[in-house]
Amino acid sequence: MAAGPWWRIGWRNLGRNRRRTILTATGLAFGYWAVVVIAGMADGIVADMVRTATGILSGQIQAHAPAYLPDRTLYETIGGNEGTDVPALLAAIEREPGVLGAAPRVYAGGLVSSGATTVGVLLVGADPAREDSVSRLTAALVEGHLPAPGTRELLIGSELARQLNVRVGTELVVVAPAADGSLANDLFTVAGLYRTGIAELDGSYAVGPLDAIQALLVLDPGRVHEIAIRIADPWTAPAIADSLGTRGVTPAGVPVAFRPWTTFRPELVDYANLSAGSMWIVVVIVFLMAIFGVANTLLMTTFERRREFALLLALGATPRGIVRAVLAEAAALGILSIVLGVVITVPVLIWWHYDPIDLGRLFGDFTMAGALVRPVLRTDYPVTMFFYAAGALLLTALLAALYPAFRATRVPPADTLAGR
Amino acid sequence: MTTPTNAAVRTDTVWKIFEHDGITVEAVRGVTVRIEPGEFVVLAGPSGSGKTTLLNLFGGLTRPSRGRVWIDEQDITDMSERQLARLRLERLGFVFQAYNLLPVLTALENAEFSLLLQGVDEEERQRRVSALFEKIGIAGLEDRRPGKLSGGQQQRVAVARAVVSEPALVLADEPTANLDSASSDALLDVMVRLNADLGTTFVFATHDTRLMERAKRLIRLVDGAIASDHRR
Repeated sequence: MAAGPWWRIGWRNLGRNRRRTILTATGLAFGYWAVVVIAGMADGIVADMVRTATGILSGQIQAHAPAYLPDRTLYETIGGNEGTDVPALLAAIEREPGVLGAAPRVYAGGLVSSGATTVGVLLVGADPAREDSVSRLTAALVEGHLPAPGTRELLIGSELARQLNVRVGTELVVVAPAADGSLANDLFTVAGLYRTGIAELDGSYAVGPLDAIQALLVLDPGRVHEIAIRIADPWTAPAIADSLGTRGVTPAGVPVAFRPWTTFRPELVDYANLSAGSMWIVVVIVFLMAIFGVANTLLMTTFERRREFALLLALGATPRGIVRAVLAEAAALGILSIVLGVVITVPVLIWWHYDPIDLGRLFGDFTMAGALVRPVLRTDYPVTMFFYAAGALLLTALLAALYPAFRATRVPPADTLAGR
Repeated sequence: MTTPTNAAVRTDTVWKIFEHDGITVEAVRGVTVRIEPGEFVVLAGPSGSGKTTLLNLFGGLTRPSRGRVWIDEQDITDMSERQLARLRLERLGFVFQAYNLLPVLTALENAEFSLLLQGVDEEERQRRVSALFEKIGIAGLEDRRPGKLSGGQQQRVAVARAVVSEPALVLADEPTANLDSASSDALLDVMVRLNADLGTTFVFATHDTRLMERAKRLIRLVDGAIASDHRR
């Protein structure tokens, strides 16, 4: 039997009680709006977390000597004891499409002392000029200046400064194990203070010029522990890391392991997955509520049209045809609701993307999964959720129509046409 | 069971008993009747005599409590709803007192509905409906919805819908009840002409004396049973 008449009848039936149709479609459209906007907010929060967690220091991809992790041994520099041509390596990495910048670093656990106070820190040797293109550490500077290359200056977190009771200009004694087996120590001056809002970073990192820290640790200029890499889209990190690894960007075949943030910050991936999973609970709740509203409307509709269903049966329509007629009307209602839903959703997503709701005054910043979260409800564009929510809405309308459709097939033609 | 000529519809000792709130009503009581192809039959009788119920039994719109019903020698008594739907689609046409057009469809779409369900292509549907509309005097009203048609026009569309697929049997329940005498006469002219031209069997349930006068066979029902059966 052709689908044509049922679709035509279903679509036109929507216009018979326009107020009721608009109210029902609006209800469904707001369900769609809620699902997509909440998904957009959740995606926005996750994206902010990833941007913050990987953007402040770690970068979205890290390159190390294969044996450097997990122990972060001082001796496991890229290229081993010989080191590598760091500028050539950086240039090769930056040629990879999607890569915005790369910065070399050395790390060592150490102690910093001021007066009688000593605090354990992670000593970081970095190139301030390159860090700008990879991390936001330099942007987090709140006092003083960045350590200049060739100087014994340190940038420390505001919390570490508080613990040491030091300020810009104060001298610190730095002690760290050196690569030659000695215990290196030297005097450094606090050049600047930074504040990221992440307690771990603000309380236990001391960042100095790459050359000065290499000299302290007795590492040649060609020996670095890490190349931190920033890319345009954090979600492409696994693919870019894979490409860098397989393309063999390193000079003279020096083995380098490229790891995306999804590997070294798995808790962020877990949170993103949890967020995406919980969205389905929202979808189910929203559309489960909508089902009853739509079913109620369609039940009323089918009851009002008992005579028409009886007529259709008398004319030779099968019960399956009647079911199609009701489902076609529900599908038409669903499509109308999707259109309405998209119309009211897209402007809000764009609006809240560029001018998000800022709850910072109420709650302040907080850290979650090791990342700084700004309570700003900035929406991302959850493209797949547009389609999933549309599918869920259509399914909702069709499921809601099943019982009314079944009822419509049970109309006794003779009695109904006789008005009994 | 077979007969030398297949009856358009026939019943054998058919009963229809309604029970509602403990009250039993015998609407049709042991009716045995045979209507031949091409007949123009009127079921007459006072209200409650069982005319409409018998008509519904003929059309498979209600099932007999006892007895059996055949359409073109097909026993419809125990047919499934699906089988009945197919039979109604292919063999029967209905005209109801209250027109019963689908309000969201145009006159043309209402009239072609059975053809659409039968899978007839659009060109053929439109050709048949246009020819029929011309014949019954409602040409030019194809695109109007029922709400924009007079009672007489609506009933003609309903007749067109009933006969457009050229069914063997048209069952009409009080088709002139809501029409003025002029519209009623015009509609009867149409059906008499269709009966003569196409050989369509018509069975009416009616109080309308004008319709009774035109009948070639008049069956009077009283209290659910046949009181008289005259051919003219």
